[in-house]
Amino acid sequence: MALPNQNTVDYPSFKLVIVGDGGTGKTTFVKRHLTGEFEKKYEPTIGVEVHPLDFTTNCGKIRFYCWDTAGQEKFGGLRDGYYIHGQCAIIMFDVTSRLTYKNVPTWHRDLCRVCENIPIVLCGNKVDVKNRQVKAKQVTFHRKKNLQYYEISAKSNYNFEKPFLYLARKLAGDPNIHFVEAVALKPPEVTFDLAMQQQHEAELAAAAAQPLPDDDDDLIE
Amino acid sequence: MSEQKEEAVKVGGENPEEGGENENPEEEAKVDFKPLVQLKEVDVQSGEEDEDVLFKMRAKLFRFDKPQGKDKDAPGQWKERGTGDVKFLQHKESKKIRLLMRREKTYKLCANHFIYPELKLEPNVGSDRSWVWSCPMDYAEEPATPELFAIRFANVENATLFKQEFKKAQKLNDGKEATEEKKDEKKEDKPIEKDLEKLSVKEDEKKSE
Repeated sequence: MALPNQNTVDYPSFKLVIVGDGGTGKTTFVKRHLTGEFEKKYEPTIGVEVHPLDFTTNCGKIRFYCWDTAGQEKFGGLRDGYYIHGQCAIIMFDVTSRLTYKNVPTWHRDLCRVCENIPIVLCGNKVDVKNRQVKAKQVTFHRKKNLQYYEISAKSNYNFEKPFLYLARKLAGDPNIHFVEAVALKPPEVTFDLAMQQQHEAELAAAAAQPLPDDDDDLIE
Repeated sequence: MSEQKEEAVKVGGENPEEGGENENPEEEAKVDFKPLVQLKEVDVQSGEEDEDVLFKMRAKLFRFDKPQGKDKDAPGQWKERGTGDVKFLQHKESKKIRLLMRREKTYKLCANHFIYPELKLEPNVGSDRSWVWSCPMDYAEEPATPELFAIRFANVENATLFKQEFKKAQKLNDGKEATEEKKDEKKEDKPIEKDLEKLSVKEDEKKSE
């Protein structure tokens, strides 16, 4: 399911389609998993961006090719074309915006027209926000359609691994799959290049003068 | 947390306003799919099997994103790299100590490098519970990359402890040959001088040192 310009891998890989209204946090969620970062700035995705995302499980490595699609109608592009050969999906809405939940059935219908009977996770994102518009109990769509539902927060990492874990279990038909520690190879014993390091130290002085983002994290308490 | 809350509501009975939904909304969907692959349990190595944990503490790691291309004159910014336990691991035979950090829940690597004696921990502007350092090469991902790291702890005490243990590890990594000892002492002078400068600025650190 890889794009022509992407390396294929010798472990199982799956095409994961991520859909939902613009601004619900699809790209932020993917980036959070890719690099650890949390991007606050909103830049609408144009068309689609495909990112390979690896996980290490007790059954070895697996890869999701995440098709992060444009939520905004005007940047939509191919639509059906992006869904073709999708093997699993995430439908994202924003619990602080009722409209994004209202549109979930439309995304589901469009997706299922192309991808029949694939495991789908419905994600209510931004549950860290105090002033929710869609309460957990008002989320009922997934029951009728046999979707899995998770409340997530790309910001606080709440449940952020659950969608991938669920999909991995369904795709492999094994409810016991879980994530394990990726192998941490020994760093080679490199000799320390002092000239290089001096240059880095200069950069470090500039970096140290930049404050770290968001000091309000309770995550590390 | 919220899962527990849902449970409490469930026990407490139905809420007529919410349409009588008394089930956990995140309950596992009862649906079967034809599996696409069959996977067998494998013996997965963490790579930490031959090491002892010298130090472990929960923290949030950042890397400095240097502007590139047309934005290369912009100041750059710190970006989150992961939250989880930062560990100092000593190899049982070589006795070399590395810094290793994984993200919680997915256990992906976000830092993996030796604690070189040459590394310097510096404070980050406006934070009394963070350190920054420059790592010539980090092996969390392939290919390895030089990184500027920042790490933030829950409080000043944890940050201070991290620095103490970091310095200890550096000393141990500096080798134990007798001929090296003199060099060691000299090196040791510098960081202490620097620390004194910091102490005069930071009240909190003065107390905890």
